[in-house]
Amino acid sequence: MHVALFDYGAGNLHSLGKALEGAGAEVTVTADWDESLSMDALVLPGVGAFGAAARALPNDRTRLRQTLADGLPCLGICLGMQLFFDASEESEGDGIGLVPGTVQLLDAPIVPQMGWNDVDTGADPIFDGISELVGYYANSYVCVPTDAGDEIAWSEYDGRRFAASVRRANTWGMQFHPEKSSTKGRRIVSNWVQLAREVIG
Amino acid sequence: MLRPRVIVCLDVKDGRVVKGTQFKNLRDVGDPVELAARYEAEGADEIVFLDVSASKEKRGTLLDVVRRTAETLFVPLTVGGGVRSADDIGPLLRAGADKISVNSAAVRDPELLSIGAERFGSQCVVASIDAAREDGLWRCYTHGGTTPTELDAVEWAAECERLGAGEILLTSIDQDGARNGYQLDLTREVADTVPVPVIASGGAGEAAHLKDAFTEGHASAALVAGILHDGLTTVGELKSSLMDWGVPVRPTPTNGGSPS
Repeated sequence: MHVALFDYGAGNLHSLGKALEGAGAEVTVTADWDESLSMDALVLPGVGAFGAAARALPNDRTRLRQTLADGLPCLGICLGMQLFFDASEESEGDGIGLVPGTVQLLDAPIVPQMGWNDVDTGADPIFDGISELVGYYANSYVCVPTDAGDEIAWSEYDGRRFAASVRRANTWGMQFHPEKSSTKGRRIVSNWVQLAREVIG
Repeated sequence: MLRPRVIVCLDVKDGRVVKGTQFKNLRDVGDPVELAARYEAEGADEIVFLDVSASKEKRGTLLDVVRRTAETLFVPLTVGGGVRSADDIGPLLRAGADKISVNSAAVRDPELLSIGAERFGSQCVVASIDAAREDGLWRCYTHGGTTPTELDAVEWAAECERLGAGEILLTSIDQDGARNGYQLDLTREVADTVPVPVIASGGAGEAAHLKDAFTEGHASAALVAGILHDGLTTVGELKSSLMDWGVPVRPTPTNGGSPS
C-alpha cells in the first residue's frame, strides 16, 4: 500500500514515516496534491501552524474534501486533524471542511497542553487491541465538531473534555501524536494501515 | 488527566553520551541511539539530547545521531545545544527532533525564539535556562554553565515565554550532579510565573526528589540523567515509587516497549 505523507515544509516527518513503514506501508513524502490524491492513502502530519498549513492546501478545497468524503483512507494528526475542520481560532485560512466544526484555543492556565494524557477510547476499530491508552499531546488548540457523532475518543485538560479523535468516512483524526505515544501509539498507526488496506481491497 | 513527565536527558558529545558534575569532568556512558531506545522501553516519557560540545566545538555528528535515534524512538525527542541560529532549527526537526531547546543563542539573540515559534509552532521551542543562586538573584549562565549573564532566571523565563517558547527547561547549576534534590525554590518561582510547562532539572538522586519537583516545585516534568546512566535506578523503579505515593505518572509499558 502506497501512503502519501504530506509535507507542509515544517517539522518532524521522520518518526511518523518510520512508524508507517514499520506497519508495512510504502511511504512517499510529497508536497504535491495531485500526487497525494493519486496514492492509496493520505497522511496529514501534525507540526506547524494552522495558517501556514492552510496555505499549503489546494486553493480549491472541493476535490480534496470530496475525495475524503468518498472514502480515500486518511489519517490526520494534531494539526492534520484540525485541518479537517472549517476554520481555526489560531489563524486565518479555511480548513478542508470535511468535518463540520471549528478549532478553538485551549483556555487553561498552562498552554500548550504538553505531555501524556489519558484517552477515553470509543468502539472504533482504529483502537482495536488497545486498552488504557495514554497519548502524547503538544497542542494549544482543540477541535469542536458541530456533530458530536464525529467524535470517537476523548481526553480532558483543565476540566475540559475535548475530542481526542474524530472519524468521517475513512478519515481518522488524532489530536494526540500516535507516532510519539510509544507502543500503544504505534498500534494505532498499524491499525490504521490495516483498515486502509481493507478499504482499498 | 495530564501526567507528570519523567524525562531522560542524555548529554551528547561528539556522538557519545557523556555525564559530568556541574558541567565538568565528562565521562563516556554510552551510545545515544541505544540508550534512548532503552529508556523508552523502561518508560521514559521523553528524551532530551543536549549536545554539550555544540557551543564550544564542532558538532558535525549531531544531525546523524538525531536521524538514527528517531528511526527507533517513538516518544518525543528534544535536541538542544546545536541551535545557534534560526536556520539550525529546521534541519534538526527534519532529522527527527520534535522540539529544539535553545540556551546561549537565545540570550544572544532573543528573536530566535520568536522566529522558531512562528515557523514551527511554540510547541517545539524550548527555552533552556541554567541558573545559579548569586547576589540575591537566580543568575543565568550560558555556554554550558561557564559564562555568567546579568539575567535573572524568573524574569528571563517570562521573557522567553512572551517571545514564543512553549516550554522552559530549568537547570540549577548549584544542584546539577549533586543528587540531593532539585532546586525547588527556583523551580516553583519560575513555574508559578510562566503559563507554559516547566521542566525541573539538576539534582535528581532518588524518586522522592521527582515527587518534590512535581508537588513542591510545581514542575510539569522532571529531568533525570546521571542516576540512570550509572545504573543506580531505572525509570521503571522511579515511576513505580511515584505511583505508590499517588503521583499519577504514565505507567511503564509492560512488554518492553516494542510493538505487539
